[in-house]
Amino acid sequence: MSNQKLTDKLDEIDKLVAWFGGNDMDIDEALAKFDQLTALADEAKKDLGELENKISVLKQKFSE
Amino acid sequence: MENGQTPRFSVSDFLAVVNQSLEVAFGIVEIEGEVSSFKVNHQKYVFFDLKDDSGSVACFMSVWQLRTQIEDGMRVVVRAAPKVTPWGKFSLTVQEIKPVGEGSIKRAQELLRQKLDKEGLFSVERKRLLPRIPGHIGVVSSVEAAGYKDFIKLLGERWGGLTVDVANVQVQGDSSPAQIVRAIEYFNSAKQPPEVIVIIRGGGAADDLAAFNDEAVVRAIATSRIPTLVGVGHETDETLSDLAADVRASTPSHAAQIIAPDRREVLSALDTKVDRVIGEVSARRASLENDVVASVELALSRIDSKLGLLKNRYFSAEAVMRQLDPRAVLRRGYAIVRTDNKPMSIVVEGDLIAIETDKYNIEAEVKDVQPKINR
Repeated sequence: MSNQKLTDKLDEIDKLVAWFGGNDMDIDEALAKFDQLTALADEAKKDLGELENKISVLKQKFSE
Repeated sequence: MENGQTPRFSVSDFLAVVNQSLEVAFGIVEIEGEVSSFKVNHQKYVFFDLKDDSGSVACFMSVWQLRTQIEDGMRVVVRAAPKVTPWGKFSLTVQEIKPVGEGSIKRAQELLRQKLDKEGLFSVERKRLLPRIPGHIGVVSSVEAAGYKDFIKLLGERWGGLTVDVANVQVQGDSSPAQIVRAIEYFNSAKQPPEVIVIIRGGGAADDLAAFNDEAVVRAIATSRIPTLVGVGHETDETLSDLAADVRASTPSHAAQIIAPDRREVLSALDTKVDRVIGEVSARRASLENDVVASVELALSRIDSKLGLLKNRYFSAEAVMRQLDPRAVLRRGYAIVRTDNKPMSIVVEGDLIAIETDKYNIEAEVKDVQPKINR
């Protein structure tokens, strides 16, 4: 799992949340999107809890 | 040369011997003094005098060696080789010049700031936004420095899944500016360049931060194709590198806060968003339920109204029917008379008839038939 996929999930969550802000939501569609939203939110929470950064010190030397 | 004889040279030979002697005796020296008569000729050659209370020496250097802004009155240290020119003039050929003392250092920095500001290196229009959560970060710092360790630690606490490539450089000292410049150029020319370059070092004295006021470093940051974030020193320190960067952090820790969101805040915001959506869906469902109930109630009310009308019609019809019911006529005292095989209009004397009243069925024989006279 990468930061890219995590940020994609967070973006998707924001889009879904924005959809619910609309006035005339069809209730069937709303329930389907809600299931999607909660599934993504659970995955994102798991990622946030588990992901670690990969730190690499370059072998390249920068002295003369 | 014989003993006791004064050596005799040609002018050129003498000058060569003097220069050789100077090279042997001194080589490279460092001399501290005050600058005066500073000038640049043809944008290539720098001339000035270095003086103190009782002496003065001429200095010469190339413009490209001038890494700091100099003006008359500044106190400086030059690293130079003493020489006598072909015209017999003694001077110092300067390799390096640095301001010394807080006043001179600040003045040099201010002069450089004005020069670069005039070129537009610090203008707000040049500033770029950093990517929202950059997945690939390039760090320019010393891995031994406390500032670097603070940055990495806080970054790890705040977010995960980031790829961080670290260019390990000296962040103070004479060789630091060149190393920082090389590191920035390295990231800019990488096959997979990072999305942001973070240049950091912890707090220190003005001398310690001097590399971040170096003209070459400032230009490298300003011209980096990759957006830059500089976090140098403490909150109150401001270097020229800070001004040139796309985004300035007050410290290395602040740089970590700028680069990455706090995962705890994001988690909390996620919960809030989901709760809000639950609220919106529930409200929508309640609204729909109300609509359905209202529709059903309306339909029922219409049905009731229709039923009421039908009832009224029924009861009206019933009342009429009751009136028309022959049995009602009998109850009023009338009787129904019937014959067996012929209409009542042609009965004759002796026919048998059946008479139905409200209470009795009577069999009778016709005694007499007289036509009725209409009145």
